[in-house]
Amino acid sequence: MTLFDVAKKNVIGNFKNYLLYFVSMIFSVVIYYTFVSLRYSPEVQKAIESSDSILNIFIAGSVVLLLFVAIFIFYSNTFFTKKRKKEVGVYSLLGLRKKTIGRMLFYENLIMGGGAVLIGIIAGTILAKLFTIMVLRLLEAPVEVSFGVSIEAIVNTITIFLLISLVTSIRAYRLIYRFQLIELFRAEQEGEKVPKASVFAAIISLILIGFSYWLGFQSPKDNIEILTILGLFLFSIVSGTYLLFRFLTVFLLRLVQKKKTNYYKGTNLIGISQLLFRINGNARTLTIIALLSAITISAISVGYSFYYMNEKQAEKASPFSYTHISVNDSLDREIEDVIRADREHQLIGRMDIPVIMVNGDISSPLLQDYLRDGPIKIVSETTYRKALEILGKTYDFKLSNHEAIGIRPLLTEYTIDDYKGENFTLQFTDQKLTLEFRSLVEERILPWSYPDFVAIVSDELFAQISSFVSPVTIKAYKVQDEKTTKDTTLQLKNVASEEMRVTTFYEIYREGLETGGLNLFILGFLGLVFIAATGSIIYFKQLTEAHEDRTRYEILRKIGVSKKEIHTIVRKQMLFVFGLPFIIGVVHGLVILKIAANIFSVLIGSDLTVPIVVTTILYFVIYLGYYLLTLSAVKNTVKN
Amino acid sequence: MKIVVEAKNIKKVYGTKGNVHTALDDITLKVHEGEFVGVMGPSGAGKSTLLHCISTIDRPTSGEIYIDGIRITNLDEEQLANFRREKLGFIFQDYNLLDTLTVKENIILPLALARVDLHELEERVNQVAKTFGLDTILEKYPYQISGGQKQRTAAARAMITKPTLLLADEPTGALDSKSATDLLESLKVLNKVERATILLVTHDAFAASYCDRVIFIKDGKLFTELVKGKRTRKQFFQKVLDVLSALGGGLHDVV
Repeated sequence: MTLFDVAKKNVIGNFKNYLLYFVSMIFSVVIYYTFVSLRYSPEVQKAIESSDSILNIFIAGSVVLLLFVAIFIFYSNTFFTKKRKKEVGVYSLLGLRKKTIGRMLFYENLIMGGGAVLIGIIAGTILAKLFTIMVLRLLEAPVEVSFGVSIEAIVNTITIFLLISLVTSIRAYRLIYRFQLIELFRAEQEGEKVPKASVFAAIISLILIGFSYWLGFQSPKDNIEILTILGLFLFSIVSGTYLLFRFLTVFLLRLVQKKKTNYYKGTNLIGISQLLFRINGNARTLTIIALLSAITISAISVGYSFYYMNEKQAEKASPFSYTHISVNDSLDREIEDVIRADREHQLIGRMDIPVIMVNGDISSPLLQDYLRDGPIKIVSETTYRKALEILGKTYDFKLSNHEAIGIRPLLTEYTIDDYKGENFTLQFTDQKLTLEFRSLVEERILPWSYPDFVAIVSDELFAQISSFVSPVTIKAYKVQDEKTTKDTTLQLKNVASEEMRVTTFYEIYREGLETGGLNLFILGFLGLVFIAATGSIIYFKQLTEAHEDRTRYEILRKIGVSKKEIHTIVRKQMLFVFGLPFIIGVVHGLVILKIAANIFSVLIGSDLTVPIVVTTILYFVIYLGYYLLTLSAVKNTVKN
Repeated sequence: MKIVVEAKNIKKVYGTKGNVHTALDDITLKVHEGEFVGVMGPSGAGKSTLLHCISTIDRPTSGEIYIDGIRITNLDEEQLANFRREKLGFIFQDYNLLDTLTVKENIILPLALARVDLHELEERVNQVAKTFGLDTILEKYPYQISGGQKQRTAAARAMITKPTLLLADEPTGALDSKSATDLLESLKVLNKVERATILLVTHDAFAASYCDRVIFIKDGKLFTELVKGKRTRKQFFQKVLDVLSALGGGLHDVV
């Protein structure tokens, strides 16, 4: 039998061990390659050239992903080697020379690494396509991101993984030299040691995390400052989180142990001590999970915010689904017919909005500056009330004949104080009319056009003004599910003439999506990749641990611990392993969001509560799914 | 005197048709309260299978087993877990200590699971630690102590619940002679002073000589039984050796 035959038989005999290691490697390659091929896709390349913020996302993303991949592979490699020490011992016992064994392990490792890269890249290419389709569907994103097979991405991936494989292969080669024969045989027996508690390190971890948070709330002035802060931030948050899991958790678990009445009750003893023993090995994993969670939550939150803000903005810019200026009855009817013919978007309400446009002056310099020489648009109280009713809102003022209420112009942040008490004078051909602003409201009813200066007046006053300047009638329609009115919008554009100034919600909404589309796509994509990475790392890690723990649970069964109690132990431990990084991940995520809000100008000053809450809940649900999946797999492993 | 273990016509068959192996063949035995009984036999005689059946870890193919008057052969999984916890104590050849727990925590584990109150728990642990000479290493972890200490920890864990029956499966198998003697002496004290009922499976004649009565099995069947009576331990040891040599192939198993 040649050496090759022995090696071959080994692979077949230990198939399960090899498979687990091989799959972990392939998985790492797929995740990394998918990410890199996004980076090297032509659209993103172009975007990177023009925008530093996208480059920053990719730099931060690469660092975390590389860290994740390297640690994941090293971890699986250690686990794999540990399983094989005995086998290596047997070769040595049978008289194989150390050099031969070393070389065999070296090649074996290298070949597995090479195979993983090859399969990973092929699978990654397919997966990248799949991810793209998913993200595009999800966001109805109008961007085209083509995932051709990019040479740069392949070269990049191969280089990184060849390096990692080389390191693990050298480690494998050194294995036989590093240990005495007897140690190889005892490999499976050696247990982890109980970790020492270090209050100092625990405090340092809190300081580092505090520092990184503080950095997050700084407002950098230029790009160099952004990069410096980003680098420092990454360093302190990564090392702080690691120390937190490595030492602060030990400290806290020790504290729990001190409380004997609780610690010595039921299964707490077993669960807590196992967690404590695992901290050394788990700290890295928990760190990675917390960081991945943070990035996922912030990436998806930012992406969703773009989406969310766009919709809000479009709703403001075009409160009704369709509006146009009335020109003549036949054309108006034609328009109405088109809208009514669209059965998928039922009409919620339609109305005529008479608007008077008249020039005027305002006593406030601030508002005058906004208005310049443009006309003031005037609508009557009844019209405004009716419009709000259709839009599902309410209006509760009663104006007297010399009062008016302003509607806040879009893209400004004027407050009631800017309006209240200010006068404005309307200029008619032979006389003037002065009115006083009583208040300011936010709900808009007219499509945006500059200057966006609208005043609401009482019905009597409106009638009076109408006798000087005749109003223009704007026809407004509100339909259900206006985001998808593409077809009707196109038809309207065909039917209507230029002077009708047809404005549709769909057009404005779509335009916003198109400008922010690439950002949206990248962030959505990142989010998906990171969710996949987080889930699988937890799943793999817990499952390998469950395999190691099997003997422990067997002992417990023998001394009379029921299945139910064992399930309780497993569940509690997993709750800790899943729960802690989730909580830390959410908090980190919020801080990263704060930084993102500094980088992306669109998000400055906007209220992101809804996107953040929705994203966190969504992530929680997916995470919970992973938890339940892992829990059932671990329970299954432990049972047998 | 009260009967603690009563096994009637136990049969255990492994394998499926075509390749059937009978590990236990019609074994019947009784253990009375306060007895220290040994089970001996050559490798593959069925000693461990018998112990597994009595300890509820395995089920016999046919026959019935009563422990403390309870018929254990038709209890379900959950009932068995409770039964093991309340009535039985175990000592295994490979200790089966949890490496994540200190010696003290390992010992109190059964009490903690039974939610015994802290005060009583501390009292009991001090008591058994003294019996087994573990007072000084209570805060150590299993990887920091010797094999003999590990086995005495396991014995202390088994005894802390004051079980109806203590089952020991080759407890001296992995110990040096000094540690083995220490352990056996402790078991003897338990038996004589606390009137603990002990069932010991071993192929070590020296260990068996500590028993009141030794049952020999061969090829799954009862071979003979030896009662210590008024003999000294040394005389009884000689007797055991005689039976073993009659059993055939046993001699090389002797210390």
